[in-house]
Amino acid sequence: MIVTIILVISLIISLLIVIKAADLFVDNLVEIGLVFGISEIILGVTAAAIGTSLPEFGSAMLAILTGNPEVGIGCAIGANIWNIGGILGISTIFAGTILSQKEEIRRDGSMTLITALIITIFMFMFGELNLIVGIVLLSIYIIYIWILIRAQQNNVKNNKKSFVTTKKEKKKRLKKENVFWVITGLIGLAVGCRVIVYSTVTLAEIASIPEMLAGILLAFGTTAPEFFTVLTSARKGLNRLAVGTVLGSNIFNILIGLGVPSLFVVIPVEEIAIRFDGPAMIVLTFLLIVLLRRRMKLTRAEGVILLSSYIIYMGTRLYIMS
Amino acid sequence: MVYKKVLVTSTGEYLDDILKHTLDLISERKMDVIGLYVVDTSVPFLTPKKIKEMMITELKKKGREILDSMKVEFEKPGNYMINFTEMMVEGDPADEIVRIAEEENVDVIVMGTGKSVVDKHLLGSVSEKVVHSAPCTILLIRTVQDEK
Repeated sequence: MIVTIILVISLIISLLIVIKAADLFVDNLVEIGLVFGISEIILGVTAAAIGTSLPEFGSAMLAILTGNPEVGIGCAIGANIWNIGGILGISTIFAGTILSQKEEIRRDGSMTLITALIITIFMFMFGELNLIVGIVLLSIYIIYIWILIRAQQNNVKNNKKSFVTTKKEKKKRLKKENVFWVITGLIGLAVGCRVIVYSTVTLAEIASIPEMLAGILLAFGTTAPEFFTVLTSARKGLNRLAVGTVLGSNIFNILIGLGVPSLFVVIPVEEIAIRFDGPAMIVLTFLLIVLLRRRMKLTRAEGVILLSSYIIYMGTRLYIMS
Repeated sequence: MVYKKVLVTSTGEYLDDILKHTLDLISERKMDVIGLYVVDTSVPFLTPKKIKEMMITELKKKGREILDSMKVEFEKPGNYMINFTEMMVEGDPADEIVRIAEEENVDVIVMGTGKSVVDKHLLGSVSEKVVHSAPCTILLIRTVQDEK
């Protein structure tokens, strides 16, 4: 019992450390990137996506590389299903309405659905995630980032003020403190993610639940930055940020979260992930796009539909396992 | 009581209604009107710093659009008797509205109200907080639409 309590406490503390370390890492990395002349557009586009998804990525990556691939896959796919059903569902219920935009659905929504389809097809075809899958996933992410950068460049061209600001902010000098905090953030991420994976795997053993399910449950914690970002954005009426965070995070979780570790090791995939979790992710993503497109907004009732879908998914999954 | 200074504030919802009622209150009298937008900077502890910065940037853009709409309406030739000034501040909306009302010695605050019961519980109500601590009269414009 004492061991379980210690593990739960260490899981919570390490989650907090990882989330704050990711924030510190990305924030200071952007500053260093600016010093080296990397476009603020590129940094802005990537930092927003990485900023919220780094805890899932770090946990999935370390789980896979340290011999617990089920936790890694569960964490990535579980996070995507929770992002749509749980986070967006709850945020819509709280905010009342979240407006959507055609461009956002067409570009990011389609990419989220394509990503879900591709990973499920690969899992079905190979029964594992290997080097070829990793290369394909990373290539798609590079194309997607290029599309985002092009779109952002067009926005900047249409806004001269932003352009002037961008030019001014480029003239920065490398600060030692930025380097220090990047290294500290990275160490925090590595140590925190290792503790997260260890605690999750050990707790799964104690509770006699499969590692993949433990990964899905872990996603509740690693998606905390997404949860607070989406909820706060929705409440403040920042609709694009709310929907964009979920779609961007889901794309990142699959293409990078599973793509990068696939480059280093062959990741075996459980049958239930191929036949149930993957299809469930596709269905929820499709449902979200249909709801977003229908009236170009999510209403409170649709938030309830999304959250109910997640509850049905989890209920069914637990039932199948039992 | 003759009102000489009005503070108009909005988050963008039902702005037209709020402006219409303000003009009705002013009628043909000479009056100072302050248009206020409060950038709500509060975010939960675990929100990434870059995301917080993005939120503030977006809210400032939104605030600029709202203040521009107010300026266009209050500076129309027909509203020659209005001396319009605008303000954008950062902080807790209710606290800032009360603070500006005190500092500027305004006679009346005009703002929207009327969230549904569910919204009030889930989102909270800025107007309710302002009502409890405002130093002056408040004109609350009922902005909720009846749900059929």
